[in-house]
Amino acid sequence: MIAHKLNLDSGTIARVPGVAIVLGVLCVFFGVTSPGFTTPANIANILTQSTILLLLALPMTVIIMTEGLDLSAGAVLTFASIVLAITVVTTGSAALGLLAALTAGLGFGLANGLLIAVFDIPPFITTLGTLGIAQGLSLVVTDGQSVVGIPRSIEMFYSGTAAGIPLPVIIGALAYAATHVLLYHTRFGTYVFALGGNREALKVAGISVRGMLIRVYVFGGLMAGFAALLMTARLNSAHPTAGIGMEFDAIAAVAVGGTSFERGNGWLLGTLLGVIAVGVLRNGLNLLAVPSSAQVGCIGALVIIALFIDGLRGER
Amino acid sequence: MTVSPLFELRGISKEFPGVKALDNVSFEIHAGEVHMLVGENGAGKSTLMKILCGAYRADQGSFLQNGEPVTIENATAARKFGIAVIFQDFTLVPYLDIAQNIFLGREFPGRLPGLIDRRRIHAQAKRVLDMIGFDIDPRIPVHKLGVAQQQMVEIAKALSQDARILVMDEPTAALSDRETERLFAMIAGLKKNGVAIIYISHRLSEVFALGDRITVLRDGRKIASLLPAESTPDQLVTLMVGRPVDTTYTRPSRPTPGEVVLDVKNLSGPSGFSDINLTVRAGEIVGLSGLVGSGRSEVARAIFGADRVTAGEIRLFGERIGGSVEDSARRGMALIPENRKTQGLALARSVGDNIVLAGLRKLFPSGFFRPGRAMKAARAIIDKLRIATPSPRRPVATLSGGNQQKVVIGKWLNADARFYIFDEPTRGIDVGAKAEIFRLLDGLVHNGAAILMISSEQIEIVHICDRAYVMRSGRIAGELAHHELTEANIVRLGIHQ
Repeated sequence: MIAHKLNLDSGTIARVPGVAIVLGVLCVFFGVTSPGFTTPANIANILTQSTILLLLALPMTVIIMTEGLDLSAGAVLTFASIVLAITVVTTGSAALGLLAALTAGLGFGLANGLLIAVFDIPPFITTLGTLGIAQGLSLVVTDGQSVVGIPRSIEMFYSGTAAGIPLPVIIGALAYAATHVLLYHTRFGTYVFALGGNREALKVAGISVRGMLIRVYVFGGLMAGFAALLMTARLNSAHPTAGIGMEFDAIAAVAVGGTSFERGNGWLLGTLLGVIAVGVLRNGLNLLAVPSSAQVGCIGALVIIALFIDGLRGER
Repeated sequence: MTVSPLFELRGISKEFPGVKALDNVSFEIHAGEVHMLVGENGAGKSTLMKILCGAYRADQGSFLQNGEPVTIENATAARKFGIAVIFQDFTLVPYLDIAQNIFLGREFPGRLPGLIDRRRIHAQAKRVLDMIGFDIDPRIPVHKLGVAQQQMVEIAKALSQDARILVMDEPTAALSDRETERLFAMIAGLKKNGVAIIYISHRLSEVFALGDRITVLRDGRKIASLLPAESTPDQLVTLMVGRPVDTTYTRPSRPTPGEVVLDVKNLSGPSGFSDINLTVRAGEIVGLSGLVGSGRSEVARAIFGADRVTAGEIRLFGERIGGSVEDSARRGMALIPENRKTQGLALARSVGDNIVLAGLRKLFPSGFFRPGRAMKAARAIIDKLRIATPSPRRPVATLSGGNQQKVVIGKWLNADARFYIFDEPTRGIDVGAKAEIFRLLDGLVHNGAAILMISSEQIEIVHICDRAYVMRSGRIAGELAHHELTEANIVRLGIHQ
């Protein structure tokens, strides 16, 4: 409707997703206004900084496709980071630390999944509750203080490079590839589409809706646990408020990427572009010295603009 | 023949709260046979099929396969017996492609554990689609398909399971003539291969063209099992509707109807109806009948302004109205929707809150809510309609179906509506409450209101209405004046001959 009023050519415009347009406009805008934006070092920086968000946004896409939501992602990330830091500091073993972080993530993912699938508590309420629990645990365990003394073996996961490429970028690429295979080339992924699109179809096909839902949230918890490795490495410490608000960025990135909150309509590549768009926006605003408090508002505007463009396409 | 049937259901009974859906029904199916299952809406056909495919469990009764007793606990068990169902309400996933939908839950494993072989799924799907003559790329996501194409995917899905017993629930409802022909050719092929087919249909021509045997259900009971060659369409209609007259409610005489309240001319809309003409006068109840899916509810929603209209006009009290629900409600129109739980009531809110909802503008012109005044208005309605609730503060969800329906009606009474559309006002309500609802409708028209009533139960239309329109495939198939208003006439107009 609006597309007609604006006299847009639906043949060409209609096929470009909102997220690509938004990302393009952002890159051009920051490229012109801040000279440091287009340097290779800054681009590598954007991608590196986007990795933690990507690790949360990938499972968030899957969860939202099932008409669910995970508000606990940021708090679980924080808690896993603290568990990791404490384990590493006491045992000195990076492997044990990662294992502990994954276990913490798995625990919260399993709790979310069981509460949602078995006890039928709405995802919004369930994960709001586990958000509070994870955040509270983090504060209690650390007494509000940072955990420091992270060894170099952890820190290099964020600062290291392989063949000149930052390690986080490689990890992010691998995580994206793995989630892509999971979503588009496995039974699990096929059933994710059905969980959001038509649960009756799954039941008739003899697939356990509960079992699949639990797996979806376990996947989310595990990814948050893994993201804790990168966050701890980045900060070179674990802090009980470090992950606050990360779920907002993750949900925003998924929404910007064009994944719908209904009918199992998801797009993983869109989420990747959405994550980069959020990263570009934050980076560009930093270069323009916009305070981080105002950046949150800009991300909110980004979501609305991207969905508005999708709306012009008549997709929603 | 002394051959034992391929599959047999014996003495199946199933009760839902307040309704005996199936009462001691036996049904058998032989290999290579098309067994037609006919009956009115609500006769129990779909319930019987859901029991056969394991979606529901029977309260009583047994199953026999080749004469041996077996049990069907769930859908997986039914599939083991080679039972596949083409459901009327689609079981398709919108954002998976055609091939993935056909093989949902039966994906071919890929080279690595956990992976699926998408290429093989697509190749196999193509094969199945070719088999039914459906020329389409299996990579197209299902949400891009039209209803007819989705129906074809649903058929392909059932056929791909190598079913020995295939249940089709009104498979041609959404198909064009050409697709229907193709489906019939398919069915002939399947018969030759020894597949048993149970075919539910409302179209008498299909019943006689395809059927090897016909079973008639009525009110959850098996009425007759007959051979097409030994019966006629008229006989079948009589068997479907010929029940004893329901005497729970008799219509009092009504005064001659007054001015035209609703005048609909050449109304067409994208939700599946075209060229609708109808009038309703003050002081009369007009029926809108036809099969489920014939477009009755869509017409009602369009008149109320809830759905878009592409052509035609709607006049209320002589004035043209323009398709918004706010406008319709302000002018005194009320729609009491089919599904009161999702469309008519805020279930968790109290009886009182629900009653005053539609009349808020009139009760509180200043915009400020005054609980005392709301409670008084609610109490008045509760007394007037004799709604059985201990207090206006009780959540609506705790009331019985009949009382919930009264709350919906009360909501609009409070808003001073003068034209009412009732969509299935007695669905899920027991007999006693039905009579009360009818008395209410009568009271409304006595006070000069006009009513358009949709019902799938012809008997209700016959008893309550002054005249009726019958819809078929999105059009008005005919109008029945009061002296022509019989169940048989309604069924004849509503069914594809």
